Amino acid sequence: MSDEKKIIVDEHNKLFDKRGMFHKRFVSDFRQIRYFTLLVVQKAPPEIKEINLLEQQISEIIKNAIKHGNHSDPKKHIDVWFSFSETHARLIVQDEGEGFEYLDQWNEFNRKRNECFKKKNFEEMAKYVSFITDKSDENDSGNALFAALEYWNGGIVFNNKKNAVALAKYFPKKRYGLEISVSS
Amino acid sequence: MEIKLRRYSSIYIVDISGEMDMYNAGDVKKVINVMIRKNIQYYIINLEYVGYIDSSGIGALIYIHSQLKKRNMVLRIVNVKGTVKKVIELTKITGYLQIAQSLEDGIAQIKELL
Repeated sequence: MSDEKKIIVDEHNKLFDKRGMFHKRFVSDFRQIRYFTLLVVQKAPPEIKEINLLEQQISEIIKNAIKHGNHSDPKKHIDVWFSFSETHARLIVQDEGEGFEYLDQWNEFNRKRNECFKKKNFEEMAKYVSFITDKSDENDSGNALFAALEYWNGGIVFNNKKNAVALAKYFPKKRYGLEISVSS
Repeated sequence: MEIKLRRYSSIYIVDISGEMDMYNAGDVKKVINVMIRKNIQYYIINLEYVGYIDSSGIGALIYIHSQLKKRNMVLRIVNVKGTVKKVIELTKITGYLQIAQSLEDGIAQIKELL
């Protein structure tokens, strides 16, 4: 199941439906990525466990938009739409860049990576630990989307231009069942 | 983030505390590179007090792992827990990186090689 996961292109996907979502616009300032992320994640309800992990996953998407999308150009903005409840987190991030042109290559790379993982072939996996392209710099670790595709279990979808990405995460519903043991 | 070094016989323990993120993950790489130049053979990276890691932090761990492996130097990463553990698991590199449960386990595993 998990090795069939892919990042897809479908701008009519329901994950792009912005109704009911909050919206914020940020400048492309690399230094403020974690701050912007906190402004988004503060809307998450306290019932969401692992808020640290949610913050980290959101910051990766914002970082990609600011750094790889807008190349940290201060004249360019990113738009972020988001909504949270105790059972879901949704995010849409759009930049003013040219779009993620290596999406197909990334999917293929990730597929090979998952094969190594499944076979526990860690020697071979060394080739697939980071996705580096001619656009990468020495600070790019090239691994953020591998974890993202696992984390965002509701999917990751790009628009046709591939400069906007929509993601969803569903949290297991808390059961308020009886946990009291009655002794007689 | 803070990086501290201590030594246990020939094993060098790198204690990292705080947040390993896009703004400072490079510092960990720099410290290890200096140690490599000093030809240190045995390394433990202790993540006990790291409460947050992002893809840059993960990238630093992968970089260090491969730099040391290339030179037949030995590394164990220890005390991987909480969010850090989750991110490593999501990135599917738990088996790729050489992780030991605790500092004691890491030391014991390296001692077997001495």
